[in-house]
Amino acid sequence: MTHIVDVGERHIREINEEIQEAAARGDEIRVVNTLSRHNLGVGLPDGCKISFEGSVGYYCGGLNTGARIEVERNAGWAVGEGMSKGHITVGGYAGMSVGAAMINGTIHVKGDAGPRCGVAMKGGNIVVEGKIGYQSGFMAHQGKIIALGGAGESCADALWSAEVWVAGDVDSLGVDVNVVEPTAEEVAEVDAILDPLGLVDSSRNWRKMVAGERLWYFESRDASAWLMI
Amino acid sequence: MSEPYSYPFELPPEDEIRFADAGAIEGRPAGVPSSYDEGGSTRWTPEAISEVHALAQLGRYQVRGYNTFNKRMPTFDDLTFVPATMTRLPLEGYRESCTTKTILGGGRGTDVVAKPLELDIPIYIASMSFGALSANAKASLGYGASRVGTMTCTGEGGMLEEEREASNKLVYQMSPARYGIDLDHLRRADGLEIVVGQGAKPGTGGLLLGMKVSPRISQMRTLPEGVDQRSTIRHPDFLGADDLAVKIEELRIATNYQVPISLKMGATRPRYDVAIAAKAGADIVVVDGAEGGTGASPELLLNHTGIPTMSAIRAARESLDECGMSGKVSLVAAGGIRSGVDAAKCLALGADAVMIGNSAMIAMGCNSPRYLEDYAKLGTSPGACHHCHTGLCPVGVATQNPELEKRMDPHAGAERVARYLTAMTMEITALAKACGKSSVHNLEVEDLRALSFEASAFTGVKMAGIDRAFDW
Repeated sequence: MTHIVDVGERHIREINEEIQEAAARGDEIRVVNTLSRHNLGVGLPDGCKISFEGSVGYYCGGLNTGARIEVERNAGWAVGEGMSKGHITVGGYAGMSVGAAMINGTIHVKGDAGPRCGVAMKGGNIVVEGKIGYQSGFMAHQGKIIALGGAGESCADALWSAEVWVAGDVDSLGVDVNVVEPTAEEVAEVDAILDPLGLVDSSRNWRKMVAGERLWYFESRDASAWLMI
Repeated sequence: MSEPYSYPFELPPEDEIRFADAGAIEGRPAGVPSSYDEGGSTRWTPEAISEVHALAQLGRYQVRGYNTFNKRMPTFDDLTFVPATMTRLPLEGYRESCTTKTILGGGRGTDVVAKPLELDIPIYIASMSFGALSANAKASLGYGASRVGTMTCTGEGGMLEEEREASNKLVYQMSPARYGIDLDHLRRADGLEIVVGQGAKPGTGGLLLGMKVSPRISQMRTLPEGVDQRSTIRHPDFLGADDLAVKIEELRIATNYQVPISLKMGATRPRYDVAIAAKAGADIVVVDGAEGGTGASPELLLNHTGIPTMSAIRAARESLDECGMSGKVSLVAAGGIRSGVDAAKCLALGADAVMIGNSAMIAMGCNSPRYLEDYAKLGTSPGACHHCHTGLCPVGVATQNPELEKRMDPHAGAERVARYLTAMTMEITALAKACGKSSVHNLEVEDLRALSFEASAFTGVKMAGIDRAFDW
């Protein structure tokens, strides 16, 4: 059965407790009258299926441990931050820091994503159908950020081992980025992520960005690397 | 007109006048002024010259561990206690009881924080990461703190199972880098600590050189092995105070309103920063002064950023008073606390508790006089070692080298930490009782006098004797 949670002006604790109780019962959850409130659906459990009417504020789906989350329209900052498992779909646009520090799972944004998309992410995948904002991928450890509609300035800034894949224009590159030609196998891996989302298009001209690895180490005699930090 | 005076004797030879007799240095009959062999420049000291030579060779700033070497920092020794005499009645220091129980983070009520941190003593172990410290050292701290009824904090490297097991109470740190972030770890913690800065290098993120990024560390932090890990300072998902308030709410939801949330900051502008942290919803504000230690930092930041702990405490307490948050928000002081005496001074200046890092490491064995040849390899000696950044800690405290780590026995270390904390607590109660207090939390600014203008000016504590604070 579907449990309806009416958000309105109720205390955020009460709303989240109602969501957690419904999830514990195994109900499918529909959250309505969201008013773009912050902190809706934090720390959701594995197996939970939940959808949010309209738009949500900051940290929706934060620290998710396996729920399947759908946001009908837009999401505020840090949707799915710190999530370890699960799948989040944002029907519209997403604000700053999509999937910040996430460990695993998938976040799919149908519109554009704001600055620092995938910042500090430790794994998993972020797929943005539109454009990703400036400094996306900042210090991302592992995982993939895939943007189908271009990227803003300072793209893939100071990466660890994560990859940023962009189809379309990149306004500018961040510090310490190498743009590499992906192999057919690597493109196939990305297509395998896009396939379940119905987003495969073999005509894309990918730019794959990885760390230049110069910022990984102190380079005492390369003053230019120092000026960047 | 009088005649010019003449000696009633013959003038001796010029050589004799110029000390050219036995022992004088050829060509330098006036001796060697100190400026010749020691140099007299207060600006170009031997240290300043060697710093230029180092920078000229390295092409980068120097990096090291430990804490500030800035000689201008005041010390807690600039303050003294003025125990009860005629105006007040002392307690019997050797006999009467003095409570040390400390509750942190309970001020906003149990509907916000169901389980405030209840500690038996007003001291706990500072957030030092597994990474900066060895696993054995982390376990020692956990067991030692548990033995005396207090707690430890994970630091930025994520939750180490050995530490969780050893620590009855453990605070989980949310660092900007969010290494190993895990909802389960948040929920297994007894408190959370959001760190926005540290006293050793406020405004700059953590640093762990490649020598310490071992296979286990790299796995816990999702980093390539052996990289020089330079962490972020800005959090990935909030920027200012208004966002922080939303973040704190998120963490309360995630932990089901069970545990308090601390906010740790380096001491820079505590009068404003502390008020903002309190307003944003922190249950505990930790103010870490410039004397605070670290496993590794650009040296210039250690020596030249932040304000002294003693000055930060007073500003922080006044800040909480002014915005009506004293009692609602707990204040913890940290940075350069070496003893129960220093800790007592922090309490008197307005802290509800203190956090110790370096001194707990020293209690475990940091800088102890053993393995002398390994200190020598680092170019240092026991008592002077500050080479935490190298990962070659001769005593196994600040290393990830398995062979060196064996030198840090977690059980003996635990007992040393427990005894040190016990002794510190005795020192605090001895001073509190002399000042007539039956609780260490009743220590107050009036119990102190300043021995220097600076200490008085920094803290508003009255000058000794004259009984007036240095007045601007």
